Amino acid sequence: MEVTTRLAWIQERVLGKLLGNTTLTLLYKSGVHGSCTFDMAKKCCHQGSTMTVVHLEQDIVGIFMLEHFPILHSGKPSTCVLFAFKENNSTGISALFSNAQVEINVSQLKFFSPDGLSITVHPNKQKVHLNMEVLKKLELNLKSYSEYLECEIFRVDGVKNDPSIIKKMVDVKQHRRRFLSALRAYRPSGNLVSEVRILLVGPVGSGKSSFFNSVKSAFQGHFTRQAVVGTDETSITKQYRIYSVKDGEGGKTLPFMLCDSMGLDEREEAGLCMDDIPHILKGHVPDRYQFDPCKPIVPRHVMSPPMKDRIHCVAYVLNIKSVNSLSDKMVAKLKRIRRDVVDCGVGQVALLTNVDNCDEVLDDGFVNMSESVTSQSQIKKVQNMLNIPIANILMVSNYSQERSMDPIKDALIFAALGQMLRAADDSLEDLPFEN
Amino acid sequence: MAMRTRLTWLQEKCLQNYFGGKRLCLLYKASVQKFCEQDLLGKCWNHGPTMVVLNGENCVVGAYLREGFQKRETYITLFALRETEVSECLIGPHLPALLFYDAETSDCIPGFHIVLNEKKVTISSEICKKLGLPPQHSPMFIQDCETFRCEELLDERMTRDIAVIQNNLLQALRTYTPYGDLVPQARILLLGPTGAGKSSFVNSVKSVFRGSITHQALVGCDIDGVSDKYRTYPITYRDDGHPLPFVLCDSMGLNQKAGLHVDDIDSILKGHTPDRYQFNSMKPITPNHPNYIHDSLLKDTIHCVVFVFDVSSIEHLSYGLVAKIKRIRRALIKSGILHVVLLTHVDSLDLITKGDLIDICSCEPVKLKLEAVHRDFGFAFSDILVVSNYVSEWYLDPVKDVLILLALKQILYTVNDFLEDLPLNKQVSEEKYSNVCRKKRK
Repeated sequence: MEVTTRLAWIQERVLGKLLGNTTLTLLYKSGVHGSCTFDMAKKCCHQGSTMTVVHLEQDIVGIFMLEHFPILHSGKPSTCVLFAFKENNSTGISALFSNAQVEINVSQLKFFSPDGLSITVHPNKQKVHLNMEVLKKLELNLKSYSEYLECEIFRVDGVKNDPSIIKKMVDVKQHRRRFLSALRAYRPSGNLVSEVRILLVGPVGSGKSSFFNSVKSAFQGHFTRQAVVGTDETSITKQYRIYSVKDGEGGKTLPFMLCDSMGLDEREEAGLCMDDIPHILKGHVPDRYQFDPCKPIVPRHVMSPPMKDRIHCVAYVLNIKSVNSLSDKMVAKLKRIRRDVVDCGVGQVALLTNVDNCDEVLDDGFVNMSESVTSQSQIKKVQNMLNIPIANILMVSNYSQERSMDPIKDALIFAALGQMLRAADDSLEDLPFEN
Repeated sequence: MAMRTRLTWLQEKCLQNYFGGKRLCLLYKASVQKFCEQDLLGKCWNHGPTMVVLNGENCVVGAYLREGFQKRETYITLFALRETEVSECLIGPHLPALLFYDAETSDCIPGFHIVLNEKKVTISSEICKKLGLPPQHSPMFIQDCETFRCEELLDERMTRDIAVIQNNLLQALRTYTPYGDLVPQARILLLGPTGAGKSSFVNSVKSVFRGSITHQALVGCDIDGVSDKYRTYPITYRDDGHPLPFVLCDSMGLNQKAGLHVDDIDSILKGHTPDRYQFNSMKPITPNHPNYIHDSLLKDTIHCVVFVFDVSSIEHLSYGLVAKIKRIRRALIKSGILHVVLLTHVDSLDLITKGDLIDICSCEPVKLKLEAVHRDFGFAFSDILVVSNYVSEWYLDPVKDVLILLALKQILYTVNDFLEDLPLNKQVSEEKYSNVCRKKRK
């Protein structure tokens, strides 16, 4: 007798992705192990986080419990997530975060929360009760008291034991949407230019070109490789590139451009030439210009280029894992660039790449960076080295190995872009009138 | 403490493969729950085929219960796992609960019983011999006892959904259009050492879209390499004869000394090399060749290069060949031509079975190969694709199809990135060309 879940394989994978990258292991199945809470508790206690999945005629409703499944005749508070697949939609899932009380006794398993959500499973009757609040919030078109076909309980392996992170996983899609809306609605300050130019500058291998690819990937919804990345003896990027970004496949061009440059090298006469920086900032360098570490560009124009060709924001791109071991020579180069940036009145941010645990970067409401992050030594170092306020030290995790998109990464990328655009606006507003 | 198996990937894989391609689902772990057979039986009762694994200091011993813990008797196979070797001893049928020593009765399985609360297992010398264990091994003290439900790696549920994914991919790829309609078909060049699987990848793609196995592109291991001609293979869907919007271009294998000349690569990339051109590793094509394509357009050029490597040969490539490939890569970067890597024959790696293909990149041996490619050539991890070509099969397999189609999808996305990245003047001139073609079609 094989014991397998009633979930479709695709549904199982969708559930596994709901709270990060988790694996579901079936522990209890009512049709095999008995329709009573005694059997349920015996199989599911002391297993870690669980997901109780109730298969109705056409819908699937479930509850994730972060805390251990309760033993019989007991109750406990737990971080919970209520979710539903609607009417045979294999991939569309709605989810709700809640702090609930979970109780189990001889006749029922009950979840209820202070904000009015309540779900009760009656195994011996094979019925589930969902109160009006649950039906409304999960957008289910059901009677509140329904007979179910099967109840299955899974252990959830690989989930983070942190209620704050669970909440972020559940809420991330709406925040991603909010950040994306802000980017779509963005217009450069004062209508002085139609597009803002953001310069990416930083050491070889810090993730500049990879950041552009990640931005494009986040908008497209699939992985993109327009900028070549990888490793070699010197910078892979040897040309100056001005990349525009479209709002999705076949979408409109967004009002900002990312300018990618050759990587900095701590050695003299290697990497991006320091004398090229002012010319880049003033807009003298054309797209696809081939950098030469030993010979700066000789601009053709004597006249000032128009405002639209200038750089409006500089992002110093640093690998967070290398920040604490930057050589003195590299720091000196970065400081020299900063002086040029300040002289030209350009906005600036620092962009830390290769961040682990990107679900911990922003606070619960995805408004500010969380305190545990801002107190990291790398942040302090960048703040002191470049004299950049913490609000303009941004953190992302570029797409590099994943085979599918991650809404948390998208949200961080969109939030970072938003902050760059604000820095650009600050510099545009600060311009002398005669320009 | 988390419910996570103590077994290494390798140990788990050996047991999986030995007992018929099962996925092991952890149900009970003594060090997390309790060293108590009542707890074990409570968790594991009625779960179908079940495996009890006892972790000793130097080896793993266990029992496979064909029908699991149940009221009735079941066939039991005792086993020992040392390094990657599994030895077995078939006993039974027996009542499964009798695996555990019960002081109240004298009833137990002769020669093997687990005393959980004392964290030990006693094994008779006869069974020790059959399992390849030293006789003084008994009693064996155990650090943990883990019990797993054994599920089919590829069950009907999974197979059904994979077929849906396969069909969705087929439809997406046959309706693909290159970015901006700049060219009628994406042209994809396969480059790689002799025997890497370039031609068998072409055959595999053709087979997937035709719906049956085909062997049009010659495959073999001649000394000089079988693919010594330049071939451009259009792909058709089923048998309707209409070409799909991409073409696979196959070339002579790369070799440290002989093999494809770098100047010939340049000509291929620029669209000057005609179909069926016979390569000569000493003498690249020149404009004087009677079939040389002088006025090549964007539609004749290569839009994406795929470096093809046999996954099992990565570490055996000569230093000179690696250097040559790096040189080619730098030239591609300079020319603005995007490229990816394709690792073929992934199912030839140790312990990899069909059931692993769905999540192939999470398998340890594959991860090691990806790291090797990244380290030796400098390719980004995200640019390395993994497939299993059709080589000797007679019938298509949806799991392999999906891997091939996913790789092809990534390649076509990369073509779009290349076309989008072209300088504006090239895009504009090709738009004019496309307009002219469209008018002619009407």
